[in-house]
Amino acid sequence: MLSALDKKLLKAVANLEDIPKGAYNIRKNGKLMGREVSANIIIDTNEDGTGIIVNIKPGTVNESVHIPVIVSQAGLHDVVYNKFIIGKHSDITIVAGCGIHCGSSESQGHEGIHDFLVGRGAKVKYVEKHVAMGAGKGKRDLSPTTRVFLEEDAHVEMELTQLGGVDEANRVNEANLGPRSSLLITERVMTDFRQVAISKNDIVMAGQGSRSNLVSRSVIKGNSSQDFYAVIEANAKCFGHIECDAIIMDNGVNQTIPALKANHPDVELTHEASIGKIANDQLTKIMSLGLTYDEAVNWIIQGFLK
Amino acid sequence: MLELKDVKFSVTDAEAPDGKAMRMIIDGISFNFERGKFYAITGPNGSGKTTLARLIMGINPTTSGSIFFEKKNITTLSITDRARAGIAYAFQHPARFKGITCRDLLSIASGKTDEDELVEIIKRVGICSYDFLDKHVNSELSGGEIKKIELATTIARNPKLAIYDEPDTGIDLWTIEPMVYLLKKEQEKYNTTTIVVSHNRTFLEAADSILLIRDGRIAYTGDMKGVEPILMDLSLCPFGEFLEGGKNAECFR
Ligand SMILES: Nc1ncnc2c1ncn2[C@@H]1O[C@H](COP(=O)(O)OP(=O)(O)OP(=O)(O)O)[C@@H](O)[C@H]1O
Ligand SMILES: [Mg+2]
Repeated sequence: MLSALDKKLLKAVANLEDIPKGAYNIRKNGKLMGREVSANIIIDTNEDGTGIIVNIKPGTVNESVHIPVIVSQAGLHDVVYNKFIIGKHSDITIVAGCGIHCGSSESQGHEGIHDFLVGRGAKVKYVEKHVAMGAGKGKRDLSPTTRVFLEEDAHVEMELTQLGGVDEANRVNEANLGPRSSLLITERVMTDFRQVAISKNDIVMAGQGSRSNLVSRSVIKGNSSQDFYAVIEANAKCFGHIECDAIIMDNGVNQTIPALKANHPDVELTHEASIGKIANDQLTKIMSLGLTYDEAVNWIIQGFLK
Repeated sequence: MLELKDVKFSVTDAEAPDGKAMRMIIDGISFNFERGKFYAITGPNGSGKTTLARLIMGINPTTSGSIFFEKKNITTLSITDRARAGIAYAFQHPARFKGITCRDLLSIASGKTDEDELVEIIKRVGICSYDFLDKHVNSELSGGEIKKIELATTIARNPKLAIYDEPDTGIDLWTIEPMVYLLKKEQEKYNTTTIVVSHNRTFLEAADSILLIRDGRIAYTGDMKGVEPILMDLSLCPFGEFLEGGKNAECFR
């Protein structure tokens, strides 16, 4: 059974009101809490019991898998290794995410290492939300690693969000793109107080005609800090773009380092990066529509992170 | 309904040798705008038109003088309070955002979220395509498109006083006449006091009264007939300012 707190965390990370429909695997405090498979989606615990293997049959369309993680036990640092094998020509949505509830002064954390093998022509939408809450003073760490291998003509869209409460985040995203495959990553991170978030992205464009687009939006409040590294390495004729924008408020600090490496003459690689306060002309415009200064700041930030 | 009393705006002159001298940008403007009338403000580039508009909206603080709106002294009111009192300003260079759509802007401008009502507003400004609502107000919008959205957000507020700062720049030639017609219609239907900053003849002709600003002062007020010779004169010698001060140059006019 789900407790009220479990429900609150599930709602926050996976937008779930209750046990989801379709295939799912809910992990709570390092243990399996519930699992459901479908005719096309098989979930097994891996050999050494450190995570799960999700097997999606070729041609599976319009199905989803939910794999939320809850950490509410004081002092627990949960590490999990998950593998997703996505059959060719399938079209599926994977909703992951981790909710930490910290009620004590002991630190709590979750480290999820996710490998995706995306078969030829498959389409995957991966949505991952990280949330931490609770009145406890303990540090909350969330450090996910995502490794994606795209076979030819595969298409992956990843939406990664962390909008508050996480004290320390070390994110690693790695991708390897096969011929004509495409990858879109959107990352949105908001930090406040003394929180620290680091995101490292390494994208290798191995296949001819592959495309990647990495979009990062950061809001850095209080005394928090965010570092963003992104490297696109192109080894074949391809198209790659990095776009990273950071809004600094209060005394936040930010480092944004996009890098492009071309090992082939026919690559088309671009990047745009910006760091700064909310622009004055944006604020005056919104205030001239009747919002107060604070309301205008909030409104602009919410749009930016939407 | 809007009264300016000896309004001044000055900034520290960065080019002054001691770095302390003040530069007058609006140099004592007094004027009474009457309710429901249509005004055009014109004048050379850099004469202070936008600055005057920003003083009325509260974006720039007045250095001295006072501004009365509906008999209330609003000189020290914030932008927000002036907006809530019924003043709206369409920027000459509208802000661009990331992650904000035309729908978002129109919703806060009008306080409405209903699709049909928003469509009503964009139709009112002569935008016929519905997918306009979901366009992002970012750097991908063309100069003309963003000016149309700016106009729409201003009209969406149903203001008592609307100030449009060069609404016609970037707009295709064939849309200018309809735009004048639209602003006139808004003025007549809602009795909106309308101020349009423009260099465009069509707007000047449509106005009940024209204010010519030069060097931060009102150089002329009146109708088209009276302003025309002065404008002609100004345009004949655009470098008049420089030449007048030169020893070896002369400006014949
Ligand atoms: N805050 C400020 N600080 C310094 N100088 C300013 C400031 N605001 C305006 N100015 C200067 O004041 C002058 C008038 O500017 P303003 O934008 O009002 O002109 P304008 O009449 O609207 O011109 P245009 O027709 O080109 O739009 C310009 O020389 C401008 O550089
Ligand atoms: Mg101007």
